[in-house]
Amino acid sequence: MQITGMYWGEKLLKYVDFPCAEVLKADSSSDELRALLDRCGSIFVKPIFKGGVGKKGKSGLIGHVNNVHDALKEKERLYFAKHEVGNQKFNSNGVTFEGSVPAKYEIYVSITDDTRFRAPTLTISHHGGVDIEAQGSDKLASAPFDPLTGLNGFVISNLLNKLNAPNEIISPLVQNLPKLWDLFHNYGMSMIELNPIRMMPNKKGRLVPVACDFKCSFDQDDPSWKRLNLPADLFTTELSNFEREVNELRTYQGQSDVFVTNNKGSVTAMTFGGGASSLVTELLGDVGTISSDFGGNPPYEKMRKISSIVYKYWLEQSNVLFIIGGKANNTDIYETFRAMGDALRDYFNTHGPKPIFVVVGRGGPNLVRGLGTLGETLDNLKVPYRMFGYDSSMSTVIDYAKDIDNWMENEGGKESIAKTMGIQPENIAVSKPSKCA
Amino acid sequence: MSSVKEALPKLLENNSERNNSVPQGIAAFKDSYVGINSLAELATSEDRVCVLNILGGESRTVTPISHVYSGGNIVCGTMPGRSGSVMKTKIGDIPVYNNISEALEAGHKFNVAVVYVPPAGVKDSVIEAVRINPDLNKIVILTEKISLHSSRIIRQFCQLRGIDVFGGNCLGLGDALNHVRIGGALGGNAPEESMVPGSIAIYSNSGNFTTTIATYLQTAGWGTSVSFSSGKDIYIHFAAEEFTNAFHNDERSKAAIMYIEPGGYYERDLEFEKPVVCCIVGRWKSNMTGACGHAGAIAGAGDNAIEKEKWFMKKFGVKSIFTPDNPECTKKGALVTNIAHIPEAMSAVMKKNSVEPDFEPKGDLSLKCWLASSNDVGLPKELDVQPEEAIAPYNEQIENLSKQIGAVLPRQAMKDTSGASMMDPKTQVSRLNGTSVLDCSTRTFEENLVMALTREYPDSNGRELANVVLNAFVNQNGTPQLAAAQAAREAENSPNTVLSSSLAILGPKSALPARKAVDAFVELFGYAKIKDVSNESFDVSSQLSKAQKDELDKIFLSEKESPRAKQMEKALKSRNVKSIFISFLQELAKKTGTFVNEDSLLAAASCHLAWMPLMKKGLTLTTLRNIPWHLQIYSAMIGCSVESSEQTKEAFRGVDNQELMDSWSFTETAYLAQIGQRPKANELLDFSILLGLVSTNGPGTITAQGAKGAVSADGSEVSERVQINKAYVGFLTHAGYAHGGNGYEAMEFLINQFRKTNLDNPDNAKHNLDLEAMAMDYAKEYKIYKTDAKAKGNLSYAKIPCVNHPVFKGEDVNYDPREVFVKDLFAEKKSYNIFLEFYHELVNALYKTGVSRNVYCVNIDAVIATILLKMLWRPFMEGSFSEKALETAAFSVFLYARMIGSAAEIEDHINRGRNMDTRTAASKCKFVGQI
Repeated sequence: MQITGMYWGEKLLKYVDFPCAEVLKADSSSDELRALLDRCGSIFVKPIFKGGVGKKGKSGLIGHVNNVHDALKEKERLYFAKHEVGNQKFNSNGVTFEGSVPAKYEIYVSITDDTRFRAPTLTISHHGGVDIEAQGSDKLASAPFDPLTGLNGFVISNLLNKLNAPNEIISPLVQNLPKLWDLFHNYGMSMIELNPIRMMPNKKGRLVPVACDFKCSFDQDDPSWKRLNLPADLFTTELSNFEREVNELRTYQGQSDVFVTNNKGSVTAMTFGGGASSLVTELLGDVGTISSDFGGNPPYEKMRKISSIVYKYWLEQSNVLFIIGGKANNTDIYETFRAMGDALRDYFNTHGPKPIFVVVGRGGPNLVRGLGTLGETLDNLKVPYRMFGYDSSMSTVIDYAKDIDNWMENEGGKESIAKTMGIQPENIAVSKPSKCA
Repeated sequence: MSSVKEALPKLLENNSERNNSVPQGIAAFKDSYVGINSLAELATSEDRVCVLNILGGESRTVTPISHVYSGGNIVCGTMPGRSGSVMKTKIGDIPVYNNISEALEAGHKFNVAVVYVPPAGVKDSVIEAVRINPDLNKIVILTEKISLHSSRIIRQFCQLRGIDVFGGNCLGLGDALNHVRIGGALGGNAPEESMVPGSIAIYSNSGNFTTTIATYLQTAGWGTSVSFSSGKDIYIHFAAEEFTNAFHNDERSKAAIMYIEPGGYYERDLEFEKPVVCCIVGRWKSNMTGACGHAGAIAGAGDNAIEKEKWFMKKFGVKSIFTPDNPECTKKGALVTNIAHIPEAMSAVMKKNSVEPDFEPKGDLSLKCWLASSNDVGLPKELDVQPEEAIAPYNEQIENLSKQIGAVLPRQAMKDTSGASMMDPKTQVSRLNGTSVLDCSTRTFEENLVMALTREYPDSNGRELANVVLNAFVNQNGTPQLAAAQAAREAENSPNTVLSSSLAILGPKSALPARKAVDAFVELFGYAKIKDVSNESFDVSSQLSKAQKDELDKIFLSEKESPRAKQMEKALKSRNVKSIFISFLQELAKKTGTFVNEDSLLAAASCHLAWMPLMKKGLTLTTLRNIPWHLQIYSAMIGCSVESSEQTKEAFRGVDNQELMDSWSFTETAYLAQIGQRPKANELLDFSILLGLVSTNGPGTITAQGAKGAVSADGSEVSERVQINKAYVGFLTHAGYAHGGNGYEAMEFLINQFRKTNLDNPDNAKHNLDLEAMAMDYAKEYKIYKTDAKAKGNLSYAKIPCVNHPVFKGEDVNYDPREVFVKDLFAEKKSYNIFLEFYHELVNALYKTGVSRNVYCVNIDAVIATILLKMLWRPFMEGSFSEKALETAAFSVFLYARMIGSAAEIEDHINRGRNMDTRTAASKCKFVGQI
């Protein structure tokens, strides 16, 4: 849940009266652009990406123009720009025209919860505007502060003094930066970053900090961000349909965290526990379809709903349905396994049988009852399975699941299972594991 | 942002802005408050606990176990609005109050608050607990998904008030040596299993892995001193730094395990004074853009898994990750990335420190299968791992599981719902017990009848057995059900009404003796582990003795010889049927000098057919007990559809009873019942295809609804009371002239087209008829009729039956895939059907003449009509079959076929349904106004 850029940044900063660069939308008229140029001298044309997208400048995705013709040309270039960051691909949908702010000083500011201090922490540099990671440590200062009293002026002033910042920027920043704490703390943010804030002289010649770029992340466990009245679809592109559907079941009772790891995978792991999720995702690698954590003792109904969603999206292409976790502490194995079994029966009833192999590795309360009830369901559905107790190491069970997957994928296992289930060869879905998509 | 952190200098030395007001805890921590100096102080027998939200879903199961395990350390709990309640535990009740103030006023003293409050209330609960209870020094927060906003406040508030906080999203603290568990469920409902006393302290970001690692350690002979689940939120209040200091000061803990995930800098600056094995899992997480599972396990470039591995390798002085193949470690420790390697790594590190394990290793971590089913999929040997005895106490539980005979299905409302049949809305192909009706159509009638009940097709031996039994009971001569049928028939009722009258008489009493015999078989053979019911060499001596001892022989045997039983035994012999149950009966009869009776033979056949699915838990015991009744009904349905004048004591439609049992298939008998003669091979094929195709149309079809409604009304939750014969009556009364009887419409249409052609053999492809011309003539004629009707404003003009389909339409040339399947099957079997060929010419002619805008499909109903007409054409043209008889036959064959689907539906509903679950709520019923 991230936002980058001034299109939304301007709106959020206005909640706390933090000065912003002038921003025009893509549909602004030539006259409006000309007026902005008259006021600011030049304009930055920036593509609008949903979610947190960094390094746009480095990738040549920011235009800097000084006439309307070039502004419109850059608009055409950047409106549907594509941007790749690591494994992720982003598509722009729109641009902003942001008036340049002439300034002698460019400031970098961020607030985040820093695990070294276990407190909200302000990081600041008066050498901002560039890739802050490239700055030397002597140009960057950071300090935790008391969340009960908030970000006070003296924290800011101490840090700037430590950096030997020029006196003329200290007072305006001390006056304005505490506003960011209000936005950060009261609207459910986990990070806010302005880079650069340009220190623009006002009519009296006094410097005023003007935010020229914006980035923030929201804490998905804090509903306060909803008070910002952001459009419902602002974060939707960050999630696949599957993730979004599961997320709708997100409550504090039981985990329902999922992440698509390879939409061409062939082992779908229903994982219980955060640790197990890490281990399973790591060891399955590219054959896994999703990373999941359904631990935390989900009630039957929730587990059945989650299972239905998982099956709906992934069973068709999967060879192995992998149910895996360590020795549960409080997750009721009977309830969760009953739910997964019932959802599987529903799926078969609706979609017809699928040639899958079920591998289970689990421990915890009501273990044997849980294994037994799932086994019965699988017997009824004619689904072959192996169930391992918690005295088999999780990694050997994962290896077994991968071996079964390989047998099904490459050695005719899938066809063999399909035959015993009465499935016609033409109805067998083919999954081809590949690198993460 | 994390890169920025990396670029930052270490600048917390002068963190004076925050820490001026923090009280001084133990000396080791100058800038923050920490009260715990040793792990021995983490969870002690002196700690007294108040659980907040004690009666909530999670606490309700966890807290009583913690209380009992710790010898009663929980003094009270809170739950708004539940003051005066108690939480029951094995060692006494725990009182519940509305809030902490009330609890304190009631005189309770406690130093630990365990928080199970939902996330939105955690911050306020913590503040309240700290504010009003001066004795409080520990808070354990179990709640997941606490917002960062709350965590920030909790951290600072508790720091200022001198409280140690554990969590959030942790599973609490356990001390195996002190035998205390506080907050959370470490070790689940059996803490002793994993918290075995020893010398290793566990610190784990994962609650589940805290327990799992403790269990794994035992395989190398290591027990635990302390198990601490830290949680893995962004804020870990009692974190690695605090744990390490306390670990150093705990004499009982000789070494530690640290399970660490990516994200956060909690471990970077740790310095160890005792051996540590660290497990870091989550390299892959660097690909993730959001947390999955633990909220804090999302990392940047500086705190990802690889960076953390480097931190610990430096601390331990190792250059690589410890694995069984590369056991690199030092006296200081080892780094692993797989929790399964922890025990071995710990032993290797401790060996370098000359420390022996705490006890003899318990078990190992190799692959141990507890439950398995291969379903004959031909697994390669290396993957075909077989179940082995599980560790105690699970071995006994699994043993008990295997003692349960048959499946037990959860009950649910089954209105419009079925576990027996379904129709694929895309292909319109229905499935029965997982088998598509297209595949059913390649099976014989008797095979489908058995499959409907047992959910599996019988092998050839089982099929022969079924033929003997079904034919044995088909002749209804002298029975009240035949008399009732005849009376109904003479009153000119439709075939379904006739059969309803007869089946109403086959009540529970008629099935009782066979059901008792089934029960006796289950008692004798339930745990005999029969692998092949046809293997007569199976040793039944113990069952024979038990049967005699328990006087079960009286159920199976009769003093007098029953003629029908005698004929059945003879037929079984002549068909060379092998069955453990039959041979057991014969052996028993021989031993006791009595005779096997027909009910026990019926029961034996039922057991034979259903035994293996039952043992595989693919069938319920209830269904097995019902099968004899179903078999009797199957026979009666066929028998009672034949005039009483056609049945004598010795013969059925002229065929000797013994001959039927000896050599007729039940499909042939059903054909005989309708057509009056034994079918030829091609006729038998057509008939079987027809019966299979029509067997079901999913749970929404009216016949299925009738059967299900009848079961529901009896109340399936007391399955013993469900009248199965009445369920069939439900199916039958829900057929009628519009549903089942309408097949005749298409036949009538075809008769009109072919009546004057002198066609004598519809099976002969060399018929010399110009089907194309016939079709064109009719299409032209129909076009005139249709145009005329439309011109007159008559929109309900007669439609041509069996062409077009609401789903299979819209293409230039349309096909009903079911019809295509059957047509291909006919082609494969070299079976010709002139009527079906005519239909294909007709849809083309309709297009060519402009009646249709594209080529309609020939739908599945055409297949049914053309097969029926092909079977009946000759007797009809010869005059031995009237049009009325033709209609009756078409209707009856539909009923025979649908009996297959209804049987499956009835059993499914009995086993899964709830009482009266097919009713419709009044709110969903509509009133359309009075006349």
